[in-house]
Amino acid sequence: MKQIILIFMIIFTSQVTLAQVKTVKGSVTDVVGSPLPGASITVQGESKGTITDFDGNFSIEVQKGETLIISYLGSETQKVVVGDDSTIKAQLKEASLTTLTEVVVTSLGIKKTRKSLTYSAQELKGEELTRVKDANIINTIAGKIAGVAVTKSAGGTGGSTKVVIRGNSSVSNNQPLYVIDGIPLFNGTSGQPNDSFGSTAGGNRDGGDVVSLINPDDYEGMTVLKGAAASVLYGSQGANGVILLSSKKAKEGKSNLKASSVTTFESAAYLPKFQNEYVAVAGGEETWGAKGASNDHVKDFFNTGNTQITSLAFSSASAISSTTLSYANTSGSGIIPGSGLKKNNFGIRQTAKFFEDKLSVAANANYTTQTVNNRPVNGLYFNPLTGVYLMPRGNDFNAYKENFEVFDPARNLMAQNWMTDRDILQNPYWGINRNKSEDTNQFFNGSIALDYKVNNWLSIASRYSYNRVESGFDKKIYATTQGTLSHTNGRYINVNTLSTQRYGDLIATINTKFNEDFSFNANIGTSITNTIGNQRTTLDSGIGGGLQIANWFTLGNFVNNAGNLQTLDSSKEVQSVFAATTLGYKDMLFLDLAARNDWSSTLVNTDNSGFFYPSVGVTAIISEMTTLPDFINYGKVRATYAQVGNDIFPFVTSPTNGFTAEGNKPAIAAPKPGTSLRPELKSEVEIGTEWRMFDNRLGFELSYYNSETKHQYLQILAPLTNPLGVKYYGINAGSIKNVGFEAVVTGKIIKTDKFSWDATVNYSQNKNTVKEIPTELGGKVILTEAGVNNYRYILEQGKPYGVIEGVNIKRDAQGRVLLNADGTIQKTDFEEVGNSNPDFMVGFSNSFKLGSFFANVLIDGRFGGNVMSLTEAVNDEFGVSKATGDARNAGGVVINAVYPDGSAYAGKYPAESYYKQTGGRAGATGEYVYDATNVSVREVSIGYTFNTKRLPFLQTASLSLIARNLGFIYKDAPFDPNISLSTGEGLQGIDVYGMPSTRSIGLNLNVTF
Amino acid sequence: MKLNTIKRTAICISLLAAVSCTDNFEEINTNPNGITPELLEQDFNHIKGSFGPMFNNILVLTPEWKYQVQQGLQGDIWSGYMATGTAFRGGTNNTTYDLVDGWNGFAWGAAYGDVMFNAYNVEQKAKGKYDQFYALSLILKVEGMHRVTDTYGPIVYSKFGTTDPVIAYDSQDEVYNQMFKELDVAVAELTKRVDAGEASTFVTTDLSSYKGDYKKWVKFANSLRLRLAMRIVKKNPALAKTEAEKAIAQKFGVMTSNDDLFKVVSPTFNNPIATISAAWGDIRMSADMESIMGGYTDPRLPVFFNTSAQFPGQYKGVRTGIEIAAKADHVDFSAIGPIVNSKEIALMTTSEVYLLRAEGALRGWNMGGTAQSLYEMGITASFDQHGVSGATSYIADNVKTAKAYVDPNFPANNGAALNNVTVAWDATATNEVKLQKIITQKWIAGFPEGQEAWSEYRRTGYPKLLPVLKNTSGGKIDSNLGVRRVNFVQSEKDGNPGGVATGLTKLGGADNGGTRLWWDTTGPNF
Repeated sequence: MKQIILIFMIIFTSQVTLAQVKTVKGSVTDVVGSPLPGASITVQGESKGTITDFDGNFSIEVQKGETLIISYLGSETQKVVVGDDSTIKAQLKEASLTTLTEVVVTSLGIKKTRKSLTYSAQELKGEELTRVKDANIINTIAGKIAGVAVTKSAGGTGGSTKVVIRGNSSVSNNQPLYVIDGIPLFNGTSGQPNDSFGSTAGGNRDGGDVVSLINPDDYEGMTVLKGAAASVLYGSQGANGVILLSSKKAKEGKSNLKASSVTTFESAAYLPKFQNEYVAVAGGEETWGAKGASNDHVKDFFNTGNTQITSLAFSSASAISSTTLSYANTSGSGIIPGSGLKKNNFGIRQTAKFFEDKLSVAANANYTTQTVNNRPVNGLYFNPLTGVYLMPRGNDFNAYKENFEVFDPARNLMAQNWMTDRDILQNPYWGINRNKSEDTNQFFNGSIALDYKVNNWLSIASRYSYNRVESGFDKKIYATTQGTLSHTNGRYINVNTLSTQRYGDLIATINTKFNEDFSFNANIGTSITNTIGNQRTTLDSGIGGGLQIANWFTLGNFVNNAGNLQTLDSSKEVQSVFAATTLGYKDMLFLDLAARNDWSSTLVNTDNSGFFYPSVGVTAIISEMTTLPDFINYGKVRATYAQVGNDIFPFVTSPTNGFTAEGNKPAIAAPKPGTSLRPELKSEVEIGTEWRMFDNRLGFELSYYNSETKHQYLQILAPLTNPLGVKYYGINAGSIKNVGFEAVVTGKIIKTDKFSWDATVNYSQNKNTVKEIPTELGGKVILTEAGVNNYRYILEQGKPYGVIEGVNIKRDAQGRVLLNADGTIQKTDFEEVGNSNPDFMVGFSNSFKLGSFFANVLIDGRFGGNVMSLTEAVNDEFGVSKATGDARNAGGVVINAVYPDGSAYAGKYPAESYYKQTGGRAGATGEYVYDATNVSVREVSIGYTFNTKRLPFLQTASLSLIARNLGFIYKDAPFDPNISLSTGEGLQGIDVYGMPSTRSIGLNLNVTF
Repeated sequence: MKLNTIKRTAICISLLAAVSCTDNFEEINTNPNGITPELLEQDFNHIKGSFGPMFNNILVLTPEWKYQVQQGLQGDIWSGYMATGTAFRGGTNNTTYDLVDGWNGFAWGAAYGDVMFNAYNVEQKAKGKYDQFYALSLILKVEGMHRVTDTYGPIVYSKFGTTDPVIAYDSQDEVYNQMFKELDVAVAELTKRVDAGEASTFVTTDLSSYKGDYKKWVKFANSLRLRLAMRIVKKNPALAKTEAEKAIAQKFGVMTSNDDLFKVVSPTFNNPIATISAAWGDIRMSADMESIMGGYTDPRLPVFFNTSAQFPGQYKGVRTGIEIAAKADHVDFSAIGPIVNSKEIALMTTSEVYLLRAEGALRGWNMGGTAQSLYEMGITASFDQHGVSGATSYIADNVKTAKAYVDPNFPANNGAALNNVTVAWDATATNEVKLQKIITQKWIAGFPEGQEAWSEYRRTGYPKLLPVLKNTSGGKIDSNLGVRRVNFVQSEKDGNPGGVATGLTKLGGADNGGTRLWWDTTGPNF
């Protein structure tokens, strides 16, 4: 707090008095007429100066004959001698891009020279986001940024994405903050699974996230701020890194219409392998019968998916206002029959200037609506894949496809037609047609920004934004759906979820020079964020209650009210004050100081609801300070230390009871008796260096960081014997340490007039250690409970985040399998069988140009880590996998085993008995753990840019052939390990009948009129 | 805080005001769908609201799957009442003595999360102020928790409510002693109120058939005392006799008419076994039921079971602990009958109480009747309870005994008749034979409540049950002795490992299903 007051004092006392002279007004634009906000105007030989406002306008008091130096980051500097005119229009040419002029967008939308940054920030240009377009913009950054791990959900198109920057550092949330034009975006999800079995309430479904709903074509670039220092200005929300998106700006004096169309075809890749040589015994549920051929029906089950993205953007700008309108339409059909997506994006952006250009106003509104039919689920319930994979062989799959329902004269209705009645194994076509679901999302993002230029060194901006996401889930489950999942008369589930975020800020920006050598800029502000997450109304006729009349799906038909609920996942408000300053010396030495204090409603009823955290950083441009060898163009070293606080779960410190038809229900979670809760605190040290050489043809950036997040907020399972009746205790315990190294190497390998080859390698490694887990927890925190499956996901003292635990076959020191006296295989208790985190990641992106042709190839590799496949385990148990067929052909499983008396097991172990003991979701799951290492050809595009001189009505045009997830160069797991069942913190490193990964190939056409 | 003031002032002038200008963190941080303590106290819901969960979770009424793993695949199976033809976990599970911890923890969860917590809550809020509620909660607590100690052995009981890092377990001996004392408190309190002619304040809260009648609750408490007393008879015969006679001698005595029997009456839910049997096809009549009730041609059969869909007109049971290739193999055997198509779930019957008294009389205790008369009244009460006629001739039958079990589809599952006692009382028979008759009739009368039958099977060895043919316990559980208890639960091992350690010491044996409980001795019945 004292620091903040000190900063205020510095600012208000350090002002230079200005002389009484003539006022010159002017504007600064680029060559195409777009205004350049923040351009610097100084008077040669004097210390006075100003900057342009949001719309590129400035006014300065000078004397006739003096020279104005007009400079802008990324542009060539212009000198203008002041004559009689009182207005000056300067058009700045784009400077050849060098390291000294590069500009990056940083926290709160503030542009800074890259050289002055004291921390690591990596950028992606708009074309990187749209070149091989994905319906979800975030999926396109995989492999392109060092230290960023991107994992797609198994929910298919329209699904959410898990992004982890610099390793997992928190038990409760590791997702980065998304920021659009300086304003935080609410990126909640209406639900993520955390149960390896599956959910009877409609399956293990991905509710989708918000960032997947935005239109990739609306953005001109992305900056990823990885460390704590970079994100200190966003507070708690930015503790896991920040991804900044900048929207496209209209250019003054021009109107244009951009259109792009992408069509891709997706095919299922990496299916499990099945046997076709054995069939089930008559009436059997599992395929352990005699030899007998069966068709491989699995491949034919999957369709070729298709995604069509069409986008249009219209923009126009004049000197005082600009308008951009955009529309995008995405429609797709999935690889699972009956699944598909429709999305519409609308966007409008309007800017205008008032009061002699002193006040700028910008307003933005985006609306997205999305409908997903039969969004793929994972787990064993409501998942058509279990029926497809596990159907007892020897049955005619096509007959059940065509006749998934048959008339039941006893009930006078159409009933499910299937050879067995088992909850995890329904007729897939019954599921697709008679357990239909529809997911809907509506997202609105509206914002207004005011910027008032008080004088030449001070401007005050205030912004407000409102995010609103409505998610719906509607599932109609017809009568004769299996009894664990439905009432005999069917079941209706209808869930509506509303989340809102309101954000407002007030920021004063100061930009001045003390004298020739010292520059000073500062941002001082306050913000408030109010978030309501998942205000949910659930209607569920349930399994026990049910519907009165079969297959009439409406609330009035519910037998009882037991499944109808209103719930709220979270509600919180964070109020903040913050200040950040940069002090520059001769443009070669920079000192950053920042500090923030947050007050969070989630910490009410604790010792202190406010928490303070500072950061400090320095940068030195060595190439400016000393003389380096000629081949070095640029050299810089930087170091920062930062802290970020993080609040806790809402409601925990103000627990309330529930009350159901049954009676009193205690709160879910409460602070552990006798303890008070406090915020998490992340501390990070980062050092780095950047170099460019050989005419800027080779560049590299190295970063090392060491962070530790202490006082983790943990919701630990309270013993069932606890007196509060709560399920969880909230405690502060444990710390997670991440130490890592990142390298970005860029090279213009070949650069000739006709042909060029640019390449970038992103390398990152992260070592993660979980510490200080309290001994009363046995050194473990369970993130995903085992339930009835032999998989669980935990944090364990001394181990990296995310230990996968399973059950192994018991072996002696010589590696022999230990048998019981009756010949059954002995198994261990739960033990570590793997870890879900990669050891290091490498992205290798290449772009080639040959005349008008261009090509891009991105190779993405993740090394280390493990995944478990319950899919394979259950396929084995059911005797449908290729392994079980091979074992039967071989006369059993070769096994080196001993009985308790030491005698060796003779012969081969019968295949059925072996796989029934070791396979299955509750078998020896340690046998189904694979190395997650994989190297894939993530993106390929080959295209042609048309010569627009021959196409008079077009400004630009290009056509390209694009492919995503073309194939794996190396992979150990029997499925794509880059797909996750949940984008939450649990359920990682496991596949339970997740939708197979897809390979997509298509065409991308872009034109500007 | 001064900075706070600056911040607030700044916030309230600008677009920030569009977000909020309030300072009410407490309100924001309070879930609007939750109920605050103040609201809860209205109409005494903070006390009364605790009873619903207790009534509904002694046996979990909803969701059905939870009942299935609370008791449906434990006591209901190990008592010999029912069997499953579903090959859960690839056919190796509780029924083949490979105890599934993932299932067996649910009994603990329901007991502590719903019964024990709410009893504790009532004690905190009502003891000394509204003692009638405290008394009633004690009876429900004993009813709910004796089942838990009879499942696991040592449990958390007297130390429930402590905030110590280690929540210690009580030995089963200690638990039983405390339960007797708790019944003393409850009986004294409610009797005092009946004597004072006080109107019941429990009428609408009572989800049992008693509808708030304190006197009936006292009878139930006395009956429960009799059950507990009998359970410990081999371990502490003196205390057993004292407590049993105390129960009979109490002013209101034990249950004597079927109006007295204790059943939960759910406004919403059928007995969960109905769904598990009819909709899911996961539970069927057992081979032992077919052997014993079939052997007696028991008139209660049509109430308890449906005839087989595959063998019309016949009652076909499924043997527990067999190789199962497919659910279809046995799904068309006898499903559970009309007895479960009801929202009334009996937890203690009048018939049981008579038969407990019969055993007491056999042991020479003052039970207010002879062993024979009480035995016959027990059978009659059961027939009456189910509206079945023919009790007299049934009681007189001294010919029919259990029959051999035949699995027409899979002869490997066949089994010879193990029980050779008839129904009719034989004054000349040994006490052991008389006991076998009493327990066999109690076993039949108690259907479908398998927890008590499993406990009594463990105590007495009756009725003799067909051994499992497939034992995948890895040598931990003897096929002939059956499952003696259930492992301590994972959530306790994770959340209260120190407590589990005290439990293990008090258990005095390995934490597996072969270790006998405190009252379960290898000694003779007499």
